[in-house]
Amino acid sequence: MTDMNPSHNDDMNLYAPHQWRHSTVVAGVPWKNPVGTASGTFQYAAVRYFYDVSQLGAVSTKGVSPVPWEGNPGVRTAESPAGTVNAVGLQNPGVDTYLVDELPKLKAAGATVVTNVAGHSDDEYAEVVAKLADCDADMLEINVSCPNVSAGGISVGTDPVALSRLITRLRKLTDKPMIVKLTPNVTDITLIARAAVESGADALSMINTLLGMRIDINTGEPIIEHVTGGLSGPAVFPVGLACVWRVRSVLPDVPIIGIGGIDSGEKALEYLYAGANAVEVGGAALLDPTAPIRVARELELLLDERPDLAHTLAKGGTWR
Amino acid sequence: MATPMFTQTVSQACEAGFVPARRRVPITEVQHLTDGVVRLTFTDAYTAQHAKGAQFVNLFTPDPLHSAPRPFGVSEVNGDQVSVMFAVVGYGTEIFANLQAGDMVDMLGPLGRPFQVKADAHYILVGGGLGVPPLIKTAQDLAARDNVSCTAVFGYRDEHFADAFVDQYADELLSIDESQGNVVTLLDRLEPALSQDSREHIILTCGPLGMMKAVAAWARNRGIACQVSMEQRMGCGYGTCVVCTVDTKDGRKKVCSDGPVFRAEDMGWNE
Repeated sequence: MTDMNPSHNDDMNLYAPHQWRHSTVVAGVPWKNPVGTASGTFQYAAVRYFYDVSQLGAVSTKGVSPVPWEGNPGVRTAESPAGTVNAVGLQNPGVDTYLVDELPKLKAAGATVVTNVAGHSDDEYAEVVAKLADCDADMLEINVSCPNVSAGGISVGTDPVALSRLITRLRKLTDKPMIVKLTPNVTDITLIARAAVESGADALSMINTLLGMRIDINTGEPIIEHVTGGLSGPAVFPVGLACVWRVRSVLPDVPIIGIGGIDSGEKALEYLYAGANAVEVGGAALLDPTAPIRVARELELLLDERPDLAHTLAKGGTWR
Repeated sequence: MATPMFTQTVSQACEAGFVPARRRVPITEVQHLTDGVVRLTFTDAYTAQHAKGAQFVNLFTPDPLHSAPRPFGVSEVNGDQVSVMFAVVGYGTEIFANLQAGDMVDMLGPLGRPFQVKADAHYILVGGGLGVPPLIKTAQDLAARDNVSCTAVFGYRDEHFADAFVDQYADELLSIDESQGNVVTLLDRLEPALSQDSREHIILTCGPLGMMKAVAAWARNRGIACQVSMEQRMGCGYGTCVVCTVDTKDGRKKVCSDGPVFRAEDMGWNE
């Protein structure tokens, strides 16, 4: 069988300490390298056994809500061509537990932490951000793009007016660098991006998952109990790339974290050439825990050959 | 295309104090048992050394269109050889069933929390269908311990495909197929002997949900401790993506890393 998996590079020791040669800067926050983990695909308690999380450019945590959320019942995942459809529903132990459990461990481990914020309403987002205002997280990421919750999430991130109202309110609650994570499930992502930046976002991350579903042909029913979920994986790579390109073309100065289908250094590099300051690896980490480290190492070799790009990123700039 | 060997993954991870992540391992044997059941064996010394009953490995197809992990319970370990057993039910299992000795496959594991076992007890391993393979490994684990014994109680749809494998390790084997009854039929038959035996009896079960609920109820009614190995559609297999949850009395738990083994009384099935 011909092997077409990208997830191999036996020349690299992904477990040993590594001195990174190419850093980046996102909204004033230095990252050791331009590769982080995407929210929803990283939990310290699970990942720490496989690699040193301080090796990452940054860690974006699972979304934290004001109180514990139990997420969606039943089957939450279905495979799809070059990806998976997932509908977890932001299951998490809540911001209070996060602050005494996961965050201190991440900081003690030396990670640069992006705390992802979830809510069902403006009040809930505000409650979480207020509680995080003085915490040790390096950045906050406002999740207004989750397709798998009944309220909040994508319903805010598809409406520029609602998004402006929310971000304006959150801006008053914290001085931390605030990233707004955008959904691709809109007609024109540049309108949403502009609304986020004009109301106080320091940076943008894109993309969250694409709305999708699968049906079991033996039963005629949806595989996922929530019916629809979010598509991630290599299938969404060109979608995320086009979103970054379009937003960069209208907002030349805003820091952008490119996300979507990145499973190799080459794909990460495409995002940097599209104008991203940094990237995050998501679905690939579900196929191999060490994928984000491998992508970072592969990208490092590619940046060695591109000193102009590497220098620009290290100074906080972007290719475009 | 040259196929690299990922032998370094294990040594590099262990030297740095980490668990080895995804690696490429050689297939050494593919046996087609009856009823479309396949027994696949590969070489991986790390898994062979660390895997316990009810733990699983993720296997990956080489097809990027079908890249999701496929979890398989470890059924047996011999030296550095690791075996899994599965039925062909879809695209992934079809690919794995058509592998041949010498082919390479990507693997992550062992994963999950195994059955909890202790000395001075008699274990009753109750398996149904494709829930049987992890209990073969459990019987193998128990056979290597002092002061424990085990009785395998296996139910099949038709062919008794796993009897010859578990028979090497279990002190006693009772098996049945659907034409004769089910595992509860066998447990009822076993009961008089259990009441004559002063040791602590503990049931470890893996199989269809309805079967495990019936076995857990049988155990509860007799004051016998019971551990169940749960199944759910999985994602990553190592606890990060949180898609494989089941409801327990303590909330939604991840089958891959909180389980797959749970205490039957924690499942809240009888309330």
